[in-house]
Amino acid sequence: MTSHGRTDVSPADWLEAMAGLRSEGFVLFDFLTAVDRGATLEVVARIVNPVTRVTAMVWTTLPADAAELASLSDYYLGATWCEREAAEMFGVTFIGLADTRPLLLRASLGKPPMRKSAPLVARAIRDWPGAAQATDDGRQGGNPSRRRQLPPGVPEVFLHDDVNGDVASAELASGDQR
Amino acid sequence: MTLHSIPAPERKYRVAGHPDLRVAILDVGLACCALEVGAAITAGLLVPEGSVDTGPATSEVSVLLISGTVTDALAPAVIRAWGALAEPRLAVSFGACANTGGPYWDAPTVTKGIDQLIPISVYIPGCPPRPEALIAGLARLASTDGPCQSERGDESP
Amino acid sequence: MIPGEAHGTIALSASACTSCMICVRECPTWCIELDSHTEQVSEPGARRPKTVNVLDAFRIDFGLCMYCGICVDLCPFDALAWSPEHDLASTTAAGLVHGIEELESTWPSADCAAEAGTPGGDGSPSDS
Repeated sequence: MTSHGRTDVSPADWLEAMAGLRSEGFVLFDFLTAVDRGATLEVVARIVNPVTRVTAMVWTTLPADAAELASLSDYYLGATWCEREAAEMFGVTFIGLADTRPLLLRASLGKPPMRKSAPLVARAIRDWPGAAQATDDGRQGGNPSRRRQLPPGVPEVFLHDDVNGDVASAELASGDQR
Repeated sequence: MTLHSIPAPERKYRVAGHPDLRVAILDVGLACCALEVGAAITAGLLVPEGSVDTGPATSEVSVLLISGTVTDALAPAVIRAWGALAEPRLAVSFGACANTGGPYWDAPTVTKGIDQLIPISVYIPGCPPRPEALIAGLARLASTDGPCQSERGDESP
Repeated sequence: MIPGEAHGTIALSASACTSCMICVRECPTWCIELDSHTEQVSEPGARRPKTVNVLDAFRIDFGLCMYCGICVDLCPFDALAWSPEHDLASTTAAGLVHGIEELESTWPSADCAAEAGTPGGDGSPSDS
């Protein structure tokens, strides 16, 4: 397969761009998902021209706090499944998507779990074993290597007080971006 | 996601090295660990009943073998499978995911240990455990008073 | 037949462990716990006593462990090693948490270690 390359469109042009590619022969829908970039959320769709075996990736960028995009379901029926998944995992609202039932997650889960702002609660509420320090025998005036250790892969913001009061500390507050 | 009918476990096996023990396995294979069950059969560690001439078994137990990642969405089906199993029954948790959630212990959708939902008689650690570990765990069943056996309070295999 | 280099479980040589915490901090599933304290050791000829870490407890929760071997790879002192021991089934979840004694009991024999080309196997992990 060869690649048509990457196409970036504005959210307003999303539907028109996809419809245009479909009329050019990109009739096979492959996947759609989102990428959390912090302030923005990117949505990407990959479609295929099954005759020429050319693939196309179409990207658009949405504001993370108002992630709304026109649904492709009128053009690609297969997009319905991916849009439902992107909706519950990333919190993208697809306008015109008829079937908005959750695919995989319990409704009680709250925040879309694939957003980077969604705390990994399990790691935030459990004490990280790596934070343990050797207790000294008292004859020394403090451990010179005693600096705060943070678990790798858990952003400090998730260790803050509204997630877990125990792990919270003043030194982390300055790192809180919320 | 629902499993509307759970078939009765029909697959009976002899456990290699433990000629007295016959197990009827209902295999709930939910992820990669399930492959090790197949590996145990092809390696001749689990011998299908009747495939070779075996003597009489002195004990038979129905085993719910939970291998793989139990998600909260799928957990009700696992509970139903357990409920459908005929007594005497025991549940075996095979692999890190079934034991505690394993590599997915921090995932919001994964059940942190199937023992929260059904009583487990034997936990087999591993990611995945070797087929030999499955055999060792099943052999442990014969010598253990699992939760259900103590509930029933009758014969011990 | 289980080959000697099989990754059955992870074993500890407590005498080789310096309580550096690298394994604990790098473990992706947070399944290792280590307790230690420091002691002052006076050596003849030394001007000041030396501070050493003393291992008090070392636990691996094999219920959580995903056998990735990062701890084995990263241990600077070869205090952790793969062992072909596989019969570790437990009738309780708590029984999957192994302490120093259990972790040392599975230390690979010299034959296993030679086959695997790994450290260890020079007798037992420690007698301490």
